[in-house]
Amino acid sequence: MKPNTLILPVLIALLFLPLIPIDARNYLLQVLTFLFLNLVLAQSYDMVGGTMGYINLGHITFFGVGAYAFGILLNEGLPFVVSLPLAVVIVVIFAAIISYPFFRLRGAYFSLATFGLVKLMEYATINLSWLTGGSNGLKIEAADRTLQIYYLGLIVVVAVILCSWQIGRSRLGLAMKAIREDEGVARDFGVPTFKVKAQAIMISSIFPGIMGGLYTWQLNFIIPDDVFGLKLALTPIAMAMLGGSGLLIGPIIGAVFLYSVEEVIWTNLAHLQGAVLGLVIVLVGLFMPGGLARLALVERLLSRMGIHEEDK
Amino acid sequence: MEPTVLAQLIINGILLGGVYALAAFGLSLIFGVSGVLNLAHGEFLMVSGFIVYLLFDTWGWNPFLLVALVTPLFFLIGYFFEKGLIKPLGFRKEHVRLASAMLVTLGAALIIEDVAAFASKDVQFEKSIDFFLPTWVVGQLYFPTLKLLVFGLVLVLIVGLFLFLKYTYLGLAIRAVTQDRRGALLNGVDILRVNAIAFGIGSLLAAAAGGFEVIHSVVAPNIGLPLTMKYLCIIVMGGLGSFLGVALGGVIIGLGESFVGFYYPAWGQTVAYLLLVVILLVRPKGLFGE
Repeated sequence: MKPNTLILPVLIALLFLPLIPIDARNYLLQVLTFLFLNLVLAQSYDMVGGTMGYINLGHITFFGVGAYAFGILLNEGLPFVVSLPLAVVIVVIFAAIISYPFFRLRGAYFSLATFGLVKLMEYATINLSWLTGGSNGLKIEAADRTLQIYYLGLIVVVAVILCSWQIGRSRLGLAMKAIREDEGVARDFGVPTFKVKAQAIMISSIFPGIMGGLYTWQLNFIIPDDVFGLKLALTPIAMAMLGGSGLLIGPIIGAVFLYSVEEVIWTNLAHLQGAVLGLVIVLVGLFMPGGLARLALVERLLSRMGIHEEDK
Repeated sequence: MEPTVLAQLIINGILLGGVYALAAFGLSLIFGVSGVLNLAHGEFLMVSGFIVYLLFDTWGWNPFLLVALVTPLFFLIGYFFEKGLIKPLGFRKEHVRLASAMLVTLGAALIIEDVAAFASKDVQFEKSIDFFLPTWVVGQLYFPTLKLLVFGLVLVLIVGLFLFLKYTYLGLAIRAVTQDRRGALLNGVDILRVNAIAFGIGSLLAAAAGGFEVIHSVVAPNIGLPLTMKYLCIIVMGGLGSFLGVALGGVIIGLGESFVGFYYPAWGQTVAYLLLVVILLVRPKGLFGE
């Protein structure tokens, strides 16, 4: 995907959007900010889940650790520009640590164990209340930072897409795809599988880490149930699969589509929102194994816009 | 530590682990045969618990009788769940199939949970059956008779399942598919039928566990997914396809929760996940995996 006729106008529009002087502006910015959050989570999940074929159901733990690390560091009196990078470093170290035990597992086992990790981190955060405030949550100094968060979120969105694109054409990306297709054969041909897997998960942890920090900064208040919640853990994964796992454009399409559906459901339906979301997920799983981006109609549309990519 | 406290904690832990193991057997059976992680497993348990509760509320019959009535129904539910939602995923590529099966069962779990919450007006609304038996006291030890009875029934079901898998043709077919899907197919096993039947039996076990759960504890609409995760921990810990592993995994987690819950109440629920990580560090294939 090259920055071309479609992407530049969208980016410029997004850049100047906050200048619209309408009353509903803050609502619009908040909706977009949460779209950015979902998009970044989906896209960074897909680095490991789509490109490497390891379905990491615990991707959200990076987000949660980032959110808490940032909040705690900020409350220690460190400035924003120090706490956020430091929080990301902590997240990457966390990813490196968990990569050792968890990447000894394959396929379904890996998914199960990472799913368990989400619950483990949630309970650990609740119980380590001297550090995290427990189930009462963690507060930081309150302020309205909608505009800063919007621009920072936009930067992270661009960064995660560029990073995915770069991985796709790098040697590391090739090794990851080889692992997805057949890990045993890849190892026999000299791919250092363990190192590649650790690198992949560390890179994919950076972006949810940043978004976690921004999330805390925006909401001023977080609780374990929120940042390690099942819904936030599973929706980005559903988005990546819905859009087309393993394609650069896939998680983007999936995030925009599912997030819009969710917004419509939340604003129009008083009850059973979760059931409708569940139904959408079931239908995707049943009828669109390749996701939206691999439908013939969408493929034609994408190639007309010049951003169609070959499925390798 | 006083010996009576120790003995009491061990009794409680084993009784708790028995019910865990029962539902985990169901999940392990489904995973072994069809290679699908059924994330809706805990939801079947929750729904069965609710049905038993409702029937008890309206008819007032003996709850164990109600469990015996409701449970077979879930064989059919599981059977048609597989026919409708899992079978169409067919023979997709391995990791695609795993992913889409997870999506489908996860979506189903969300639907079931939300509808149950809607029907009972409140997610946190806990249901429990008002049914007690006198506690059996031996010296200084307390044996909760109700839980002993449940444990006995769990043992009966597990032994029954073991005999079924060991001595019937269908059981042989299920074990064959678990060991080698392609080999079983070449030897004339109707894989599609075995898949659906295994799903039915798995759901039946979950439903039985759900009935027991509502008798000796509580059910609420939101217990499904966390329970599914706990069962997943048990079967990963025990090792895929290992009967002994699942039983041992269930008891280990039951004992762990009983002990940790006694000394550090706040950490009780983390035991399953902590033990999982520790055991995977030592033995990546689980306790009895090959």
